[in-house]
Amino acid sequence: MSGTAADNPGGKRDDEWSQCLELIGRARDRAAFARLFTHFAPLVKAFALGGSPLAASHSEELVQEVMIKVWQKASAFDARKASASTWIYTIARNCRTDLYRRLQKFDTPISADDIWPDMDTGDLFAAVQSNRDASRVRGLLGELPHEQAQILAKVYMEGKSHSEVAEELDLPLGTVKSRVRLAMNKLQLMVEK
Amino acid sequence: MVSHHPDTRLLNEHAAGALDLAPSVCVTLHLNYCEQCRRAHRQLRDLGAGLFDRLPPQAVSENLMDAVMARLDHEPEPLSYRATAAAEGCPPLVQRLMQRDYQDLDWRKIGSQVRICHLRTGDQDNEFALYHIRAGGRIPRHTHRGTELTLVLEGSFSDESGHYEAGDFLMRDGHNQHTPTATRDRDCICVGVLDAPVRFTDWRFRAANPFLRLNAC
Repeated sequence: MSGTAADNPGGKRDDEWSQCLELIGRARDRAAFARLFTHFAPLVKAFALGGSPLAASHSEELVQEVMIKVWQKASAFDARKASASTWIYTIARNCRTDLYRRLQKFDTPISADDIWPDMDTGDLFAAVQSNRDASRVRGLLGELPHEQAQILAKVYMEGKSHSEVAEELDLPLGTVKSRVRLAMNKLQLMVEK
Repeated sequence: MVSHHPDTRLLNEHAAGALDLAPSVCVTLHLNYCEQCRRAHRQLRDLGAGLFDRLPPQAVSENLMDAVMARLDHEPEPLSYRATAAAEGCPPLVQRLMQRDYQDLDWRKIGSQVRICHLRTGDQDNEFALYHIRAGGRIPRHTHRGTELTLVLEGSFSDESGHYEAGDFLMRDGHNQHTPTATRDRDCICVGVLDAPVRFTDWRFRAANPFLRLNAC
């Protein structure tokens, strides 16, 4: 599925998590689930704590919800379409969004799964390309200058808009936008725009 | 052919879950039509996952795993995905918000050529509405106090800076004044998301400006 170890340093470990998900999906394997839990629950908790203070105060509730969804949906996991950690991250993102809206007493007919439906392509060629994109991004992420990585972390892990990040870091909005654009170039994302 | 896309900021905020609900719906609708932005979206999701992998792990309570394990067998299987049969030309997400057909909605007329219907998304900061412009009809010339996102669902329209077809996504703010005009051959239906009321610059409608309110619900 992914490229060589050289362009995908996390690949080997990720294979292990993919196998866990497959075992859970196929055989309801509790030992595999326990391994996955030990690795991912602390990451999901960190992600929950990074969100709005309201959602952060329910961080372990979110961990439970996410890990149970992982158990329930594991049979839908397809390692050809996404890596295990991408798959788990999207569940965590969706659950955190829904939890936040629930806590806010947001009355809406729309759920996070409607906003981010499964956009994986059925096209095998595109899937291969997608996986290549993904391992490249992971590889390049460590090379981003701090000032760019910091903004992306605030947007993605803390769920802040560019304006909120600008206010927090006391930077002009234009600076935040241009640092994000520079990061996109460096990660070789969306360069055609 | 889709040729107008959300910008880098919107695509990032959308993928990250950092965008309000109504604008997020608008971006998701665009993704339905645009493989290029779907690919960008997949890349940004992978970017999010890469950042997630790098988070410093936070220890969870000792008994949390047992608590989750104990629940595994008692949780109902998740409902299978609602595969609503889409009415022709209308994305499922819009159907969910409309809960009926276009013609049965509660449309309000603006002049003889345009009607508008506000849909409830639950987003208190952004108005989400459908605009129906008759073939050849125009929305009076206006500018924006905040930001306006537009997505074409059916038909097509033009304004001072371009021509837009189904799936095209536009963002306008106070720097832009425009007069969207539907093409002559068919009616045009758009989604419009506003974070502040528009301001009509056309003298015939200007008197209405002080009374315009954001209809976010």
